[in-house]
Amino acid sequence: MARPDRRDPSQIRALHCVLGQLNRVDGSAQFSAGDTSVLCGVYGPVDVKLYDEKLDRAHIEVKFRPDIGVPTTKDKWVEDAVRSTFEREILGQLHPRTLVQINVQVCQGDGSVDAAAINATTLALIDAGIPLRAMVAAATCVVRSDHSIIVDPTQEEADSALSTHTFAFSNLQTNSPAYVDSRGEFSIDEYNACYDMCMAAVDRTLAFMRTVVEGKILKETQTAL
Amino acid sequence: MADVKVVVPGDVIDTHTEEEESVLRLGPGLIQQAGKVNAIAAGVLHASSDTNHFWVVGNRRRYVPAEGEPVVGVVLGRHGEGYRVDIGSAHDALLPLLAFEGATRRNKPNLAVGATVYARVSVANEMMDPELECFNSHTGKSEGYGELTQGFTFKCSLGMARRLLNAKAPVLNALGDQVPFEAAVGVNGRVWINAGAPEKTILVVNAIKNSEYLDGKQSKQMVKELLGKQ
Repeated sequence: MARPDRRDPSQIRALHCVLGQLNRVDGSAQFSAGDTSVLCGVYGPVDVKLYDEKLDRAHIEVKFRPDIGVPTTKDKWVEDAVRSTFEREILGQLHPRTLVQINVQVCQGDGSVDAAAINATTLALIDAGIPLRAMVAAATCVVRSDHSIIVDPTQEEADSALSTHTFAFSNLQTNSPAYVDSRGEFSIDEYNACYDMCMAAVDRTLAFMRTVVEGKILKETQTAL
Repeated sequence: MADVKVVVPGDVIDTHTEEEESVLRLGPGLIQQAGKVNAIAAGVLHASSDTNHFWVVGNRRRYVPAEGEPVVGVVLGRHGEGYRVDIGSAHDALLPLLAFEGATRRNKPNLAVGATVYARVSVANEMMDPELECFNSHTGKSEGYGELTQGFTFKCSLGMARRLLNAKAPVLNALGDQVPFEAAVGVNGRVWINAGAPEKTILVVNAIKNSEYLDGKQSKQMVKELLGKQ
């Protein structure tokens, strides 16, 4: 079954990223994969409400807003996904009794929005200089009605899928994923195939992120005395 | 540019040295995990081979206080035996009333709310609120620290502030040749400028802000064009 945009099953969409375009936050990144575009702005470490204050580490707060309409339960799920992923990756012990606030705004949604949110958050945190154990990138796979598996689905492809799987991996040399979300009916073989396909897609996304970050660092370095 | 090594979080750093069992010193941006040294910030990796010192230099906007650094702060209020000062960090800093040159119990300074001060960070760690002092505690002299009257304070990135602190900063030197002004640069990304008249102050502030991504030659050219438009 050919894909509407004629991509290979394991081919992700063209990636694009702009770092530091927001000037009132501590770090920002706009991450796009094809027509899906997500903007993330990060504050931190900043002052925290007494209620949320943690004595030994930073409090991580995530706000996720969809492109259209008011936030619903589905968006709260993405907030939780981003928060649980980055609570492990952000080295909050270095900044106890502070807040790291992650604000994610979907500019344009066309499938794989949760993966784009995780990618945009990693880049925004790096832009802000918040200490991270590793870079985390995510990718989504779906199992289609003919049981074929494709990576980085558009909204149209995801709507007609039997099951959807989002995996995030870090650039540390471990095999365990940083985040897993699977929905729908699927077999263990389909799950494993999605796992492998997402891992390959994440490797390419991590390489892209590294290029973007290196470009920014080199641009800053050439102005140093 | 050939020898610039850029690292990103998660990179393993090769800290192999010739001597076995030597002590490694890890600066900002690096941690030790399971016997390996990992980067936790994105930036340029610096290494000093004679002292086995490694650190990562990357630009940021949010200030994290460290002892001994000069900062520009704004007084928020008086709080018992000191002032609460906003230095842009997660927690406001405490500036004791006696931490000024010549201050005694009878002769305390009187700073208004909203006053700008140039101070030195005397205490900074992740567990306590930062503390400042407006004098050199060893000599008792102010050494340039204290209240900054008149003038205008603006924000810049932390990397930009560090470049401005260099005596050879191109934009400040190019401006100083033509326009007389006073400047106080805080490593917390706040810069105070006093050039007398408002128009001159605005000109100096704009020139500094413009020079964020320019190198020395471009900065000089930009200042020349800005002054020429006057």
